[in-house]
Amino acid sequence: MPSDWDEALKIAGQGFGATIVALVAVCAITWLVGWILQKRAAWKARGGDKEEGDAHQAR
Amino acid sequence: MFGWYEIWGLTPGNIGMLFIGGALIYLGIARKMEPVLLVPIGFGIFLVNAVEPTLGNLMVFHDGVPGEGGIKELMEGKIGVLNLLFNYGIASEIVPLLIFLGVGAMIDFGPAIARPMSFLFGAAAQLGVFVVFLIAYLTGWFDTLGEAASVGIIGGSDGPPTVYLTTSLAPQLLGAITLVAYSYMALVPILQPPVIRLLTTKKERAIYMKPQVREVSHLELVLFPILVFTGSVLLVPKAAPLIGMLMFGNLLRVSGVTNRLAEAAGGAFIDVLTFILGICVGALMPAEVFFKGQTLAIIGLAVVAFAMSTAGGLLAAKFVNLFLKEKINPLIGAAGVSAVPMAARVAQIEGQKANPRNFLLMHAMGPNMAGAIATSVVAGVFLGMIPH
Repeated sequence: MPSDWDEALKIAGQGFGATIVALVAVCAITWLVGWILQKRAAWKARGGDKEEGDAHQAR
Repeated sequence: MFGWYEIWGLTPGNIGMLFIGGALIYLGIARKMEPVLLVPIGFGIFLVNAVEPTLGNLMVFHDGVPGEGGIKELMEGKIGVLNLLFNYGIASEIVPLLIFLGVGAMIDFGPAIARPMSFLFGAAAQLGVFVVFLIAYLTGWFDTLGEAASVGIIGGSDGPPTVYLTTSLAPQLLGAITLVAYSYMALVPILQPPVIRLLTTKKERAIYMKPQVREVSHLELVLFPILVFTGSVLLVPKAAPLIGMLMFGNLLRVSGVTNRLAEAAGGAFIDVLTFILGICVGALMPAEVFFKGQTLAIIGLAVVAFAMSTAGGLLAAKFVNLFLKEKINPLIGAAGVSAVPMAARVAQIEGQKANPRNFLLMHAMGPNMAGAIATSVVAGVFLGMIPH
């Protein structure tokens, strides 16, 4: 029987925890980048409409 | 010339291994179960078990471990040709890393990017890895933490991280672990449904998810591999080789300007590496190395690993549902087991059995792909925490 139960339990607990933390970070980064790019696309679409409106008024 | 227990120089163990090799070739060719791996592995088993030991040694062993050496030792007859392929390709860990590059070039992370919580399911689906790690070590069936981790990683259901980790931590178990890992990946459609039905109700399996997944922009697809690699290796540095290769291959695919490289990486390149891996893994299994109690333990624990990983992904999805207004079908959590695309297909089939309107495949592909990243992280975690 192994003598270092503590070591094995530490590796399992901390290892699984580290995996969860790493993937939560990946999840967060992916969501944040997606959110920023979607906002930017929406802003560009609104900004494009506004520029057309300004050009029409100037004429 | 021959002992009473030998037939043409072959022991009963050799003959048993020839049957196993033949069975793998049958499963690959006739049943089309992971043929690109099971056929070379089966033939590799033939190569080291069908030849009487004093004749041409394709693979030479010293105390159950492949002999080391290069061209000089080969010319002197101290090692065989397969030793050379093994030492330079597998023991150096180059082949599994380059295979993962090819895998990255074939993966579409779009569904995972469209639903980022897929990565949570991929992480939760690594539960089986750590449970089996504990069982393998605390029962005393495996002497070292490295051996226990190598058995546990089978639960990640991903070939290259399994080979990469086992080569580092327990090379003496590489043959049995790789064979069991790839065989069980093909058995996911049989292993997962009982666990799914045990842990979910029909009402939960029938939860309808709209077929559309958010469209992901090209810029997101390009930024993803760069950011994921940077973030993951800052957190788990030992995962850098695996995640680096996976993300590099993916970047080649999504950049839009390196299509030739992506096609090469995901085409003939990965095919060559796959048959080198297969035949070397098969050649690691002469009878005296394979027929040990530990091999039976690996076969049994692999079932537990797959079951617990499926349970982890399912339970994570059910937990997340507690906080969502628009519920997700928990079956997509089970697809966090990285057997691509079998686990996603199982989610699709079980979902349609409960509700014929459901089309879960694209939703399940997200966690399925996320599992590849999660298993690489697990391999990095083990390499960082276990001395070797």
